[in-house]
Amino acid sequence: MITKPDNTIIIEMNNVGIRYDQGPEILSNIKLSLRKGSFHFLTGKSGAGKTSLLSMMYLAQKPSRGTVTVFNQNVNFAHRDSLAMLRRKIGVVFQDFRLLDHLSAFDNVALPLRVCGMEEREVRQRVSELLSWVELDRSMFATTATLSGGEKQRIAIARAVINRPELLLADEPTGNVDNDIAPKLMKLFVELNKLGTTVVIATHSEKLITDFKYPILHLQNKSLHIKYPADISTLRNLGGAYA
Amino acid sequence: MPKQQKPVYTPRKQEIPSRGDSTSLFLQVIISIAVFIFAVTLSGVLSINSMLHNWNRSILGSLTVQIMPINDINKEKATAETLAYQERAIDFLKTVKGIAKVTVLPDSQLQKLIEPWLGDGVNIANLPMPRIIDIKLEPDAEIDFAQLSQDLAKASPQASVDNHKLWLSKLIQFADGIKALAMTVLILVTAITSGAIFYTTQMSMGLHKDIIEILHIMGAKDTYVAQQYAKRMARFGLSGGIVGLFFALPTIFFIASLAQQIEGGIISEANLSLNDWLIILSLPLWATAIATSTAYYTVKRTLQKML
Repeated sequence: MITKPDNTIIIEMNNVGIRYDQGPEILSNIKLSLRKGSFHFLTGKSGAGKTSLLSMMYLAQKPSRGTVTVFNQNVNFAHRDSLAMLRRKIGVVFQDFRLLDHLSAFDNVALPLRVCGMEEREVRQRVSELLSWVELDRSMFATTATLSGGEKQRIAIARAVINRPELLLADEPTGNVDNDIAPKLMKLFVELNKLGTTVVIATHSEKLITDFKYPILHLQNKSLHIKYPADISTLRNLGGAYA
Repeated sequence: MPKQQKPVYTPRKQEIPSRGDSTSLFLQVIISIAVFIFAVTLSGVLSINSMLHNWNRSILGSLTVQIMPINDINKEKATAETLAYQERAIDFLKTVKGIAKVTVLPDSQLQKLIEPWLGDGVNIANLPMPRIIDIKLEPDAEIDFAQLSQDLAKASPQASVDNHKLWLSKLIQFADGIKALAMTVLILVTAITSGAIFYTTQMSMGLHKDIIEILHIMGAKDTYVAQQYAKRMARFGLSGGIVGLFFALPTIFFIASLAQQIEGGIISEANLSLNDWLIILSLPLWATAIATSTAYYTVKRTLQKML
C-alpha cells in the first residue's frame, strides 16, 4: 500500500545557523520544512554544509542559532532521553558506512533494535529476515571488517531501515558502490518512501538526480535553495518542501 | 530441495570493545593493587579493633594487686614479712564485694613475665620481686577504685592496686592512632582507585567516541552506554579484586604469624573473627560495586557534555 504524503511536518528549520567553535557560520538563515512522505535530494559542492545539515536532521548536532523542530519537538529544549527516542524514528546511512568493525554484520544491523531494548528472539528474527533480503545471510556472522565495500553498504542500509524509520537520511549512499548497485539501492529508497518514509539523500550524482526526478535541496553560499526538476509532471507524490 | 539450515547465533558482543583498549589492563592492575592494600590494611584495622576489645574486656574484669617486697639483710625474714603482707591483702580482698576470684601469681609465671627482659635461668628468689595478685571481678561489679586502694593500703601497707588504666590508656591511644592512620590509607586507596576509574573511563570514552556517537545516533540513551561501561567495569572489579585478595591473604597470614611471635601476649589478642574474615573476603564484591557505580556515573556525566 502506498502511503500518500500528508501535511504532517517531519522537520522544520527556522533561521538556522551553524558554526564550529568561534569560526564563521557554515550555514546561515536556513529555512526548511519537510512533510511526511516526501523525497528530496540534497546537493551542493564539497564543504557546502550538506553533512552539517544532515547531522542536524539526525540530531547529532544542535544549531548555533535558530530553531530545529523534529517530529514536533524543538531540539534546543528537548531532554536528552527525548532526543534518543526521536533518533529511534530516524535511519541514517553514512557515506563511510560507520559500521562497528569489531562486530558481525548481524550485530551491526541489530544495533538499532537492541538499543531500544527489543527481545533478543525478535531481534534475531527481524535481522535474519532483512539480511536474507539484502542477500547477506551467508556473511551474517562475519565481522564487517572482512567484507567488501558493496556488502558493507548493504549492511549500512539494512541497519538504517531495520527499525522501520519514519525519516531516512542518506549521505552519498551510492558514492562507494559500483554503478550497477546504485540503481538497486535507489529502488529500495523509493520503495521505502512509497511506504511512507520521508527520505533525504545527499548526493553529488547528476545521474541520480536526472534519473529520479525528485525536488532538490541545494546548498550554496551558506543558504538553502529549493530546485524542482524541469519536468515536474513526472514527479510522483512528493509532498511539499520549501526553503 | 535442500533443507535450509537454521543459523547458529554467536554470543552477543559488547558494542564498546574492551579488547585493544589499553585502559583495561591498567584498570585491572590498579584494582588488584587497591584490593591488596585494602585487604592488608583492613585486616590490621580489624585486628586492632579486636585487640582493643579484648584488652578492654580483660581489663574491665580484672585488677592487679602488687605487694612490694620488704628489704632486709635477712632474706628469710624479709620473704616471710612480704608473704604476711600478701596474706593480709588476700584476706582483705576476699571480703570486698564484687571480687569473684583472688589468685596469687605463681613464681613460674613471674619468671615468665621477666624472661623477655632478664632472660631465662634467672632465680627470682634472689631478686626483690614484688608479689602479684590477680583479681577477677564479678560481671557488672561496681568497684570504687580510690576507696579500694585506700582500704587496701590500710589492711596491707605494702600493697597497691593497679587497674591497668594508665598503661592501657597509652596503648589505646597508640592503637587508635594506628587505626586512624590505617583508615586514612583505606580512604585514600578508595579515592585513588575511584579517580583512576573516572579518568580511565573518560579516556576509554575518548578512544571509542565514534562508537558512542553511532550508538547515540541509533537512539541509545545515556543509560545504555553507561551500562556497557558498568558491565565491563564489573568484570574488571571482580577479576582485579580476586587477584588482589589472592595475594593479600598469604600476606595477612604472614604478618599474623610474625605478630604471634611477639612475646607478652599483647598482639596475640589480635584475632580476626569470622565476621572480620567475611568482610575481607567480600572485598572483591565491594571493589566491583565501587568500580561499577563510578564508571556508570562517569559515563552519564561525560555524556551530558555531548548532544
